[in-house]
Amino acid sequence: MIRHTITLQPLGKNLKVNDQTPLIDLLHEFGVEFPCGGKGTCGKCKVRLLEGEIEVNEVHRKKMEQLGLPEEWRLACYSSCTSNITLEIEQFNHLILADETEFDFCPRQGFGVAVDLGTTTLVTQLVDLKTACIMAVETLVNPQVKFGSDLISRVQASLDGHALEMTQMIRFAIGTMIRQMLKNHSAGIQKVVLVGNTVMQLIFSDCDVSPLSAYPFHTTNLGMKSFTPSELNWNFSVSESIIFYPSIGSFVGSDILAGIVATGLHQKDEYTALIDLGTNGEIVIGNRDRIVCASTAAGPAFEGANISMGMRAVTGAISSLRLENDQIEATVIGNTSPKGICGSALIDAVAIFRRLELVGIFGEINSGDEFIYLGGKVKLTQKDINEFQLAKAAIAAGLAILANNLSIRLADISELYIAGGFGNYINIDHVVETGMIELPAEIIHKRGNTALIGAKMFLFSDHLNIYEILAKTKLVNLECDSSFQDIYVDKMLFLK
Amino acid sequence: MDDLLTKLLEAVEFGKVDKKSPYPPQLRDMDGAHELTINAIESGIKPQKILEEALIPAMARVGKKFAECKIFVPQMLMSARAMGASMFQLKPFFASGAIKTKGTFIVGTVKGDLHDIGKNLVSMMVEGGGWSIVDLGVDVGSDRFVEALKSNPGAVVGLSALLTTTMVNMGEIVSTIREYAPETKILIGGAPVTAEFCQNIGADFYAPDPQKAVEYMNKLAS
Repeated sequence: MIRHTITLQPLGKNLKVNDQTPLIDLLHEFGVEFPCGGKGTCGKCKVRLLEGEIEVNEVHRKKMEQLGLPEEWRLACYSSCTSNITLEIEQFNHLILADETEFDFCPRQGFGVAVDLGTTTLVTQLVDLKTACIMAVETLVNPQVKFGSDLISRVQASLDGHALEMTQMIRFAIGTMIRQMLKNHSAGIQKVVLVGNTVMQLIFSDCDVSPLSAYPFHTTNLGMKSFTPSELNWNFSVSESIIFYPSIGSFVGSDILAGIVATGLHQKDEYTALIDLGTNGEIVIGNRDRIVCASTAAGPAFEGANISMGMRAVTGAISSLRLENDQIEATVIGNTSPKGICGSALIDAVAIFRRLELVGIFGEINSGDEFIYLGGKVKLTQKDINEFQLAKAAIAAGLAILANNLSIRLADISELYIAGGFGNYINIDHVVETGMIELPAEIIHKRGNTALIGAKMFLFSDHLNIYEILAKTKLVNLECDSSFQDIYVDKMLFLK
Repeated sequence: MDDLLTKLLEAVEFGKVDKKSPYPPQLRDMDGAHELTINAIESGIKPQKILEEALIPAMARVGKKFAECKIFVPQMLMSARAMGASMFQLKPFFASGAIKTKGTFIVGTVKGDLHDIGKNLVSMMVEGGGWSIVDLGVDVGSDRFVEALKSNPGAVVGLSALLTTTMVNMGEIVSTIREYAPETKILIGGAPVTAEFCQNIGADFYAPDPQKAVEYMNKLAS
């Protein structure tokens, strides 16, 4: 009997299967869902063929065309295994990042494109400007991640002579995503709005990022950048404008400006805070009169970096943990066996360890063991818990120093919004229990991808009020604050 | 009398600054480093003995536990604060020459970099190892290292950096120091630093954690 090997990415799993085995028989247990029951109408079971061949019959091809799938994709429900293949199985990024929050708008003609250009993740949405309906969405991992996951590694790559390569890479990726969204929509694009952090903006715009490589980390090149499709090598037309919105400061970009607009923080009487838990964790506190903001290096731990079994919120990641009869119960994305842990569950784990007194006030594992099991083979080590302490202390210290800067108490903050990729999964009670945010859980709200919501709002506005916001927004360098070290170290403790 | 030293050693190891400090819970309401050092001096224990038989072994235990991930930054800083409280009482004896240190350690975070926690941990551990410290702070260029060497000839120099983009500045600092005083021992550390990088820029030692720095320096002094 002929046998083939199927390799599943990003799980790294190898399966031996018989010739002609339908993929639908294999993949459901790895988190691929078949909502339409294998009729090829919903496209939810799509897989990306990375290596090898999957034959496509006439019906399959037609379904793929109807769904607008690029040629390397296949519908698992129409595919069988006839050779050795490597598949990337559909992940759950769409659920996490593609936002559908409603907002007020003035109808306009045509289509617009909102782009959230993240350090790790790219999201584009095609918006009907008459109805504000989202017509198509694309998400992609930023191709620059091959140069490293954090911002400093991108700055370093730029200094090492990869600046132009990174610029071309990101322009090509976003152009491809937009073209993909246009496949099923003939209407022309009026406007493209991009938001992203300062480093992402400078690289996209082919500008020098070297001022951001060392103290004083100061660039004056923060302004709005506009482009024509031909400058970007985009072979579709944009009738009005392609604009990358201005940055607030050296490490706080237009994604946070968009977040301020999306949450309406700049219009509130009471002090309101916004924390964006992306790769680069940014914090904002402000009201209608004044706004302060800062960036922290809190993000990487929440995205799985530096955590021994850390991973992003994709298939196989433990996304949440809860206590049931003093036993730790794990929820795994895709209902597969757990492969690792993502940021939301890292917070859950530490909160639960504290409740069960498995971990002491300094973060030490009380038993003296080097790790604690969470479910299956997934465990957290002493070092992982320490990494979490650094991340949570960065957020807590950032909030405290920004509040000091405004001469207010933390308790004067009336509402706090959490934005960002993994923000949707997090358990707010657990966040409060770990001491990451020292405010009552009732005033903390999840707000999804506020950068994308803001970018969509910019599609409808003529960006007049952003200059008012920029004028009253001050960037604070946390490390320059003389009390930073004491506050930062204090916040590493677990005092609850 | 030696009982006092044992208690002081314990107070520093577990970060008990003074009687009223709430940490660590197991030493609540007991005397801390502050009281124990005053008692030790008053009962006639030689300051050099207080340093060598209480403070140095306490910080060596702290450094070892940190290197083994058994304790983390907050406990290490608590211990350093307790040591600081003890050192404060011993200060007059350093000034009068009644206590001899092993030498001087000039330490700073290199130009372009503002991260000082790692540098401070190393400087506290080295101080707890029996050295005098000249801490130049953060964003320190080669000129200031050379200046400090002029006032402290023969000192050992430590360079710290936390960013890949600022780590490169170590190379220039090392070669400038070598021009001025070629025999100077230079050790480097920080998250992105590696032994290979250390070799490439011609520094003498890469310290992956504070304890390794202390061990290296103690070898130099012996």
